[in-house]
Amino acid sequence: MELSQRDRLSELVEELTTSGQPQLNQDKMKEIKKICKVSNDCIDHVYHSVMSQLSQEHAEVRLSAFQIASELFSRSHHFRMLLVDNFQGFLELTVETDSEQPLPPPKEVARKLRSLAIQTVQSWQASYGTAYKKLALGYHFLKQVKKVDFLDAEARTVAERRREQERRRKMERIYKERVEAATKDMEELYQEIEATLKEMESCMRLLLPDYGFTDFPPVNSSPSDFQPANECPSDDDQPCCSKDVKDDSKQGKKQDREESRNEKKSSERKKKEQDRIETKKNRKISEVKKGKGKKETRSEDEEREAEKTKHWNEEKVKDGQEEEGSNEEEEEAEPCDEDLFIRNSGLVSHSYSLDLDLIPGLHVEETEDNEAVVSTVIDLYRLITTKHLPAVQGWVQVFTKAGAEQQLLRRALDLKRSLEAALQKHKELHIAYKTRVRRVMKASSNSEDDDDNDEDDDFEEVPEKEGYEPHIPEHLRAEYGLDPSPSTSAASVTTKLPAKRPVAPPSQSSYCSSSSSRQLKQLKEEEQDPTCAAATLRVLRQHFPVPSASSSSSSSGPSSSHCSSEMKPVDAPVVPFGLDLYYWGQEQPSAGKIVKAASQHQFWVPIETEEEVENDELRAESSSRYISFPGSFTPVSHYCRAPLGNGKLCQRQDRLKCPFHGRIIPRDQEGRPCSQDDRLREEQEERRKMEEQPDWRDAELMRDIEAATGENLSSDRAGKKGKGKKKKKYPNLSDLKQSANTSRSRLEKKVFNKSTMRKVAQMMSKADRRKHEKFSNQFNYALN
Amino acid sequence: MLAFLTARQTGLDDPLRLRRAESTRRVLSLKLNPDRDVDRVHGNGVNTIDIEAVEGRYMLSGGADGVIVIYDLENYSGKPQYTCKAVCTVGRSSRYVHKFSVETVQWYPYDTGMFVTSSFDKTMKVWDTEMLKPAEVFEFEGNVYSHHLSPIARKHSLIAVGTKNPKIQLCDLKSGSRIHVLQGHRAEVLSVQWSPRYEHILATASADSKVKVWDVRRASGSLFTLDQHNGDKSKASSEAVHTAHNGRVNGLCFTGDGLYLLTTGTDDRMRLWNSANGENTLVNYGKVCNESRKRQQLTVSRGCSPEFVFVPCGSSVAVYALHTGELVTMLRGHYNNVDCCAFHPDYQELYSGGKDCNILAWVPVLRPVDVEEESNKGAAGQSSVNPAFQDTWSSDED
Repeated sequence: MELSQRDRLSELVEELTTSGQPQLNQDKMKEIKKICKVSNDCIDHVYHSVMSQLSQEHAEVRLSAFQIASELFSRSHHFRMLLVDNFQGFLELTVETDSEQPLPPPKEVARKLRSLAIQTVQSWQASYGTAYKKLALGYHFLKQVKKVDFLDAEARTVAERRREQERRRKMERIYKERVEAATKDMEELYQEIEATLKEMESCMRLLLPDYGFTDFPPVNSSPSDFQPANECPSDDDQPCCSKDVKDDSKQGKKQDREESRNEKKSSERKKKEQDRIETKKNRKISEVKKGKGKKETRSEDEEREAEKTKHWNEEKVKDGQEEEGSNEEEEEAEPCDEDLFIRNSGLVSHSYSLDLDLIPGLHVEETEDNEAVVSTVIDLYRLITTKHLPAVQGWVQVFTKAGAEQQLLRRALDLKRSLEAALQKHKELHIAYKTRVRRVMKASSNSEDDDDNDEDDDFEEVPEKEGYEPHIPEHLRAEYGLDPSPSTSAASVTTKLPAKRPVAPPSQSSYCSSSSSRQLKQLKEEEQDPTCAAATLRVLRQHFPVPSASSSSSSSGPSSSHCSSEMKPVDAPVVPFGLDLYYWGQEQPSAGKIVKAASQHQFWVPIETEEEVENDELRAESSSRYISFPGSFTPVSHYCRAPLGNGKLCQRQDRLKCPFHGRIIPRDQEGRPCSQDDRLREEQEERRKMEEQPDWRDAELMRDIEAATGENLSSDRAGKKGKGKKKKKYPNLSDLKQSANTSRSRLEKKVFNKSTMRKVAQMMSKADRRKHEKFSNQFNYALN
Repeated sequence: MLAFLTARQTGLDDPLRLRRAESTRRVLSLKLNPDRDVDRVHGNGVNTIDIEAVEGRYMLSGGADGVIVIYDLENYSGKPQYTCKAVCTVGRSSRYVHKFSVETVQWYPYDTGMFVTSSFDKTMKVWDTEMLKPAEVFEFEGNVYSHHLSPIARKHSLIAVGTKNPKIQLCDLKSGSRIHVLQGHRAEVLSVQWSPRYEHILATASADSKVKVWDVRRASGSLFTLDQHNGDKSKASSEAVHTAHNGRVNGLCFTGDGLYLLTTGTDDRMRLWNSANGENTLVNYGKVCNESRKRQQLTVSRGCSPEFVFVPCGSSVAVYALHTGELVTMLRGHYNNVDCCAFHPDYQELYSGGKDCNILAWVPVLRPVDVEEESNKGAAGQSSVNPAFQDTWSSDED
């Protein structure tokens, strides 16, 4: 073999292995093969260089070397002989058969190398196994001793699998613990949740108006009412698996009940409604009628019936409202004689059109009657959403993840389902809550309203504030006996049109307004009473008529500020407040004097203390004022006009200095400076710039560009300057040290720095020595 | 070869000479042969093997999982391709199997109807080959590292047993009892070996790095202790006096004629001693890798003119010339540490067992066909070569 061939082969192998590419360069590989084809000596040489590359501590190098080897293995018998002869070492370097010689980093490449090697060994075994005994032995070794599963895609060895198994076992243990904890929790909370659900259920039953109608208890209601009570214990016994089904059945029963109830109710109100239907030619009423007819036949499907029921409920609710809010026209319209009706009611026409906004779904409004129930419902709702449901969801998660017994999981799921059902029901009720804050207030106002009402005696009365309160929040104005602000009075107008008002839950303000009219009446009485706030306010109002108006509240704020801005003179300067304004037009007696604190001691008074020091600066400051006058902005009209590389002129409009071309000087058409001095200076600058290297001309980059283009860009000159930088040997390989550049390593570098260590050791020994010196002769310390 | 043949024909040479020359040549050409296989029965490492001396036909092997297998080595098929079949096995399912790793197996030197095995389960069992049942079980206080039956004994039937206990036990097959104890070692006895020349001479190697030679008729103590420095006190530090190695001595082997004794130790050395006076012959074998904490089984060729030593060395078997210490070759084929090797004196074959569960047969390569013969075979010979041996350069590399 010629020397040149030999060198060329080594060179090629090195290039290929240090390329860092996942695939080999085919051209170079072809060249290697071409040379190898010539003689076995070449193959010998390639084999040795490949093996030396394989033993490099870099997975990318190994991968490439392995690829070369596998290319040659399939070609040359001689190479096969050589490789198989040292097959054990080969496997150690590629498949990691020796646990004490792990594959080098980077990790992903190592993993790739391993799986590739295992696949390749398998294919070699398939084609050459019979001929090369050691190959077969190696294959069997991998298969039986190392227990490599060749079908396994990841090609893991036993050790890895064991590690995986261990991890899984650990996870299992953790899961088991969690499941146990969750089971315990569930046992503990189960009763509580059950109780909560039951409570919720009964609250709902109380809230739902159909349960409120006890005047005509339905015939079939009593058994069905009892039934759930019987069922509940059975629910408890069973792990609540069939609870939902029962819930459904209950619902069905409820609907049945509702239906029957509605029938009765309708029959009760039939007369009244008949009148209404006659008087109002309303499309909806006829629909109602139709629905009623259908109810009687009982041939309708459940859903629509339920909806109808809801309609009915709503109407009923609204009826209540109308009776409360308006003049109870309907009640007056009861007499069937039409003329009489007109006469009595004072209505002009028979043909009234009454628009009813029927909102689908149940609506329950909080009233004083069901207040306690509603608050319980709210509490329960909060309890369920914040505590029970998350807990149950957590259990379900734990059980599903850990694959716990079916029963536990089912139980948890059932709990979850019933909780969600309860929430859903709660949502369907559309309970119109009053805000809790207002309720407290309302209680107090109500106590004033109806003193005979004893139901609020249980509440602790919030003591009313006496005296002047400059700012009163909007919703408390009524309580304080103030005039409602204009916005609330506008809302009170809407109360006069209750039919037009949407049945949406009444807003805070509207409630305020409804009660305000009554309270207005009371106000006068209150003002007579000198002990109450209103009286104080009246007195205040008489004394300070203007400030009370201006500082009354935030609602009147905008208007008052508007007024004041109108009165302001337009051109008066606005200046910040200062000492000069404070002493405006006065003599400043103590200006600029600093009083030094004399000694506070009883007897010992220093003689030389001067009590006061004059400070001219301070005095001047207190009587003077700085007013900065910026002047007006005038836009720049000139351009930089320095010549650019592309032949154009610089279009920057800086006032004095262009950031690229320096001070702006007058230039002619071509951008040349007009004056001679400037021209000279510019030339000089240019020459200097040519001398020094701009920073973008990085030495390495230049070298790369030169290598790519083949042009001389005078990088050698730059190279001299960048001599200090060491060139990396194989730039294509991924840097192993780079990957080690973690926060830990950086910290380590800092902490375990030799000088630092020495410094620390010195400090510590010094401290130690000091102690020794201090206490060296005191044997007392040594004994203790 | 032809010269030897003619000399033999004309009666110039001793018949032994040709035989020696040929067997030496064969030993030198030992190779892993694809034609010869040994059944893979062991699922764990092979600790020990032994080839019987009567016919040279059966081989015993003991595995690290307690399994004992008997192989038939003889190839009666007439074809070169042969797999040594496992004739019978004492597997894990057997009632009598050793609970733990089998450390030593040995055929009864005069009959294949009996063999002795010892194990880490603190027992030594004497087996009936036909029944595959232990005829006698000796129990000891510690792990049994090694035992040995004298290959030439006619006046006694003693088994020397080296256990964790420093005392060497002598068990008599006739009475089935432990009759004698040899005291002198300070640590566990890793290997025991009877001299093939004198039936009462016994060599023992211990973890206290000493090798002692005993005459079992003498109750008072050992004959002598091998000293690596040959009594030169100046070279030895005080604690290294009378030591054979600077580490545990775990390999012990007499040469075929019993004149020399080979020892290997964990100091990665192998030493050759004159067994008559215990003198260190100072043959330098170089470094012989040895990390085993148990007995290591090395062997010496028989019937060659310079004798050879086969010693496990890492994952290969090293072949040394006995008296010069020259490394002849390394037999590479195992994929894990080799624990034992046994030489077949009739066919100059070597069997080796290792931790990779394999027993490999190293068979002499046949003499290549002479040049004249090949020329008339021509292309026919070429085609008969296994296709896997041919180069497959694709044409696109031109």
